[in-house]
Amino acid sequence: MSRPLEGVRVLDFTHVLAGPFATRCLADMGADVVKINSIKRATGANDPLHPYYLMWNRNKRALALDMTHDEDRQLCERLCEQADIVIDNFSVGVLDRWGIGFEKVRQKNPRVIYIQMSGMGEGGPWSNFVTYAPTIHALSGLTYLTSVPGREDIGIGFSYNDHQAGLHAAVAILAALEARRSTGAGQHIDVSQFEVGVSFAGPSLMDLFANGRAAEPTANDLPYDDACPHNCYQGLPKGDGTLGERWIAIACMTDAHWQALKSVMGHPDWASRADFDSVAGRLEARAEIDSGIAVFTSDCEVYDLMARCQAAGVPAGVVQDGEDLNTRDPQLALYQFLHKIEDVSPLLGQTWADRLPIRFSQTPCDVYERTKAVGEDNVSVLGDWLGMDETAIRTAESKGRLQ
Amino acid sequence: MSGPLSNVRIIDLTDEKSIYGVKLLADLGADVVRPEPPTGDPLRDRGPFKGNQSLWHIFFGSSRRFVSIDLPTEQSLFHNLLTKADLIITGPEGFGVSETDFDVLQADNPELIVVDVRSFGREGPWKDYLAPDLVAGALGGAVATTGDADTPPLKNYGELNFMVSGAYAAIAGLAGLYVRREKGAGQVVDVSVHESIASCLEHVLMFYWYHDRMMREPVLPRRGSLHWSNAYVVFQAKDGGVMVTPTPDFDRQLAWLIEEGVQEDLIDPKYDLPEHLVERIMKTMDILKRWVATKEAEPLFLEAQQRHSPYGWVIPLAQMADNEQLRAREWFADTVTGAEPVKGPGAPYHFSETPWALGVYGDTHPLSEVMEDIGWEVRS
Repeated sequence: MSRPLEGVRVLDFTHVLAGPFATRCLADMGADVVKINSIKRATGANDPLHPYYLMWNRNKRALALDMTHDEDRQLCERLCEQADIVIDNFSVGVLDRWGIGFEKVRQKNPRVIYIQMSGMGEGGPWSNFVTYAPTIHALSGLTYLTSVPGREDIGIGFSYNDHQAGLHAAVAILAALEARRSTGAGQHIDVSQFEVGVSFAGPSLMDLFANGRAAEPTANDLPYDDACPHNCYQGLPKGDGTLGERWIAIACMTDAHWQALKSVMGHPDWASRADFDSVAGRLEARAEIDSGIAVFTSDCEVYDLMARCQAAGVPAGVVQDGEDLNTRDPQLALYQFLHKIEDVSPLLGQTWADRLPIRFSQTPCDVYERTKAVGEDNVSVLGDWLGMDETAIRTAESKGRLQ
Repeated sequence: MSGPLSNVRIIDLTDEKSIYGVKLLADLGADVVRPEPPTGDPLRDRGPFKGNQSLWHIFFGSSRRFVSIDLPTEQSLFHNLLTKADLIITGPEGFGVSETDFDVLQADNPELIVVDVRSFGREGPWKDYLAPDLVAGALGGAVATTGDADTPPLKNYGELNFMVSGAYAAIAGLAGLYVRREKGAGQVVDVSVHESIASCLEHVLMFYWYHDRMMREPVLPRRGSLHWSNAYVVFQAKDGGVMVTPTPDFDRQLAWLIEEGVQEDLIDPKYDLPEHLVERIMKTMDILKRWVATKEAEPLFLEAQQRHSPYGWVIPLAQMADNEQLRAREWFADTVTGAEPVKGPGAPYHFSETPWALGVYGDTHPLSEVMEDIGWEVRS
């Protein structure tokens, strides 16, 4: 069978990460995602030569439209009539100004699912605020909470919320496709990336409302549940500053895990105290336990120690970086999760891809086409979606349109 | 009209790795049954609590019907329930999973979709590794990027790694459902937590693959809030943190600094030259750090946004309940429980025609007593 979403047409006006990650997910599953870009807008993270763009736009077809040009805007309106999904992550109002706002599009395409992923959503005093993932992390509490006590300048070290906003948008789109089967109609979906981010503190927000307790950063401890030891510990080899340091995460979620860890450590005297047999006792002496384990791990090669811990039934994992994922991780290697894209573009050079982490038994998603240059698929897209012939398209290009 | 998934029947056999995915589907109106043992779902022991009620469970277990089943005594009844679902989402530590032969189930119901969320997939040397959220985040690459030079690598707050695998589980189930609606075929869909985390690391894989092209290092060690681009960072204002950035328009930021009289030598024309771009960023950030220290956090954030600069105030959770944007959008939502309603997060997306809604968080009933009430007949 073909990939799950073959036949679904997506008109993609997204940029940077959150929106393109939503459509990348759909494209990996076989949807015909047409990425709209233009030479004028192809700068920075919107430039197909930029590695950031390469990461999030594989498996999509590239159509160039200059929305300042009347004829290109008219073409865009016709494309909207053919789309199952129209998606953008501009600030509120941009697509309306281009004449392809939801109300206008649905007049001619009542089945359209029209999803807008702005930073703050439609409405409210912050609706027009400009946001990137670091902004959202700060405002949503993610930066405050991901830290050590007393510091506000750490936060998540990558744009977590952009990825999640994209995944949530994909969920919403697929749910709206399901609804359309029974209603026959599309609808508008408003995704606030800020609200997606605030959601992740769900239990803590409930605790705030129900009990008046405001969560604070807990470093590597769990905020509510008892687990000790539960931290990262340095091993071998030592690094040059932070670069090249090796760490291992050890998480004893039960007393049995602790007993097994003692065994791995060779039953050192400091760990033999009777009060350490219960998690309550270990939590009382958390600093002492962390110190004792750190002394032990400091002489251990971390992959070897991980294997010994896991063999003994202790949850433990090497703190892996991007090089480890590519060169040392046997799971990712087994599934060829990280791989070169075969089609090397003369313009873009060699590119790479990670796979969709979903494996369908009957509708496998094994196609990974490289990211396309601006307008590279003008002919195939306009031919397939609007029935235009190549001559007309090339003529328009020669007059400075579709670029 | 009810939620977009009101025609979908789901059995929730998830553990912590994918329960969030079922929450997403349940809050979109799917009819979800979560079985548990007569002794109760172990996830009801997760804090925080209101009295003896787990708020963790109210959040992650929202919009579901809870049924108790005594296995293996009621194996036949359990099997009967499972065969009537459109979609089953499972994890290795989920209730009843070890007692269930999913191949037999699919033979009985070829349209059934089974989403199986495991830490590392079905094969490989790590397939049986124990990986709670901290360990999963470490191996998946998330922990290495978070923290500062003077802290250990840090996990993200709460269970953000499992919320990624959960989101992928929801996508897997819905994509499987799409195929079933189109072609009448069910299937097994595997989701790897490890791969899920590795797929959501923003710059991490990009740096390794494209560092030559970017003229950067292949691995960027943890370094606090400083973004990989060097252009976003949290600085300390008088009364809290502010995420500051001169992007996307350096000239706009410069004009503001000139207004404030703190531009120093940033007006030197040399900073317009591409070869001085990095120096310009570093100099700008240095000035911003000293300038922000003289400001109050919230007013600075609001003024920056009025100037279309994407600053972010580092808001403590304690102040989230009073957030003016969330209040204006009437965002927080009540979960109806047997006791008082519990207020918590609202919709992550707003559908114009088939709205998201939290269902009642009800009691658990023996399946034998409520099978008829569930009303699931085998569809012809």
